Amino acid sequence: MAEDLPEKADCAGVLLRLFEFVDNETGPVDRERIREHLDECGSCLAEYDRELLLKALVRRACVRQAAPEGLRAQILTRITSTSVTVVRRREG
Amino acid sequence: MLTTTAARGEPAGAFALSGTHGLGWATMTTDQPRVDDIDAEAVAEADATVDVATESPADRAARFEREAMPLLDQMYSAALRTTRNPTDAEDLVQETYAKAFAAFHQYRPGTNLRAWMYRILTNSYINSYRKKQRQPLESDAAEVEDYQLARAASHTSRGLRSAEAEALDHLPDSDVTRALASIGEDFRMAVYLADVEGFSYKEIAEIMDTPIGTVMSRLHRGRKQLRDLLTDYAVDRGIVRAEEGS
Repeated sequence: MAEDLPEKADCAGVLLRLFEFVDNETGPVDRERIREHLDECGSCLAEYDRELLLKALVRRACVRQAAPEGLRAQILTRITSTSVTVVRRREG
Repeated sequence: MLTTTAARGEPAGAFALSGTHGLGWATMTTDQPRVDDIDAEAVAEADATVDVATESPADRAARFEREAMPLLDQMYSAALRTTRNPTDAEDLVQETYAKAFAAFHQYRPGTNLRAWMYRILTNSYINSYRKKQRQPLESDAAEVEDYQLARAASHTSRGLRSAEAEALDHLPDSDVTRALASIGEDFRMAVYLADVEGFSYKEIAEIMDTPIGTVMSRLHRGRKQLRDLLTDYAVDRGIVRAEEGS
């Protein structure tokens, strides 16, 4: 079991910050410490892999969708009419 | 300087005034930028340094169109994931662009327009759509507490073994989007902004108007819920045996 592993204390610290590491949000010192730990610890490395995979799955599944054709035109029409209104107000 | 831009016979354009982009072109061969690209770059630089105070409404509208409209597909995709249906997504994007345009004089040129637009989208969604759904909001304090408990327990918590992780990789994308649609919307938005849009925690905190600690809590919990759901789906599909999944 994981509890019996000698690196338990280290693991706790690493797991605490693993998702930050995956998101590239870890400071340089911690990043290096985590990297060193992952080189030695299989269970944390596996956890890291799962976190990475999940992130990749989400990114892959949410491919960018093209906005419906009419939407762009509708927005532009609204912008144009709004700016005309602004101009008229200033003139009047 | 500008002679290089004009060499292809295209008009250099009123914005192509910056000489700094001209350096080094002669040495570029295969990846030589097209004249259109160079013009676009010059326009973008002009847009990033425009004096908002002296800009005419027409110029501002044109600048908005140049800068904000290219984000449309991104905004629509995000709206689709947020609202979970195309009609609401279109409405949300319309509202976002209308508000963004009305407030465009407040946007500081050259800063992060994408984050600024996302913030408007998020606010619009919270104000207009979330109320309709009457989804109970959990307090941030509860979130953080739960997050800390989860962190403390994470080493012994359920996890996917590597074979199962591989199985997840074979789940259809529709399972992933279904799982994403099933989790709480604050979690969904945080995960989407981080994983799909690649925003930093700081940017997400600004977009969602929450402290960074809350962003981290939402990401942590959101991802955990996603993982649990995907594991369930993998079990349902017979990719993973039930006893391995938990």
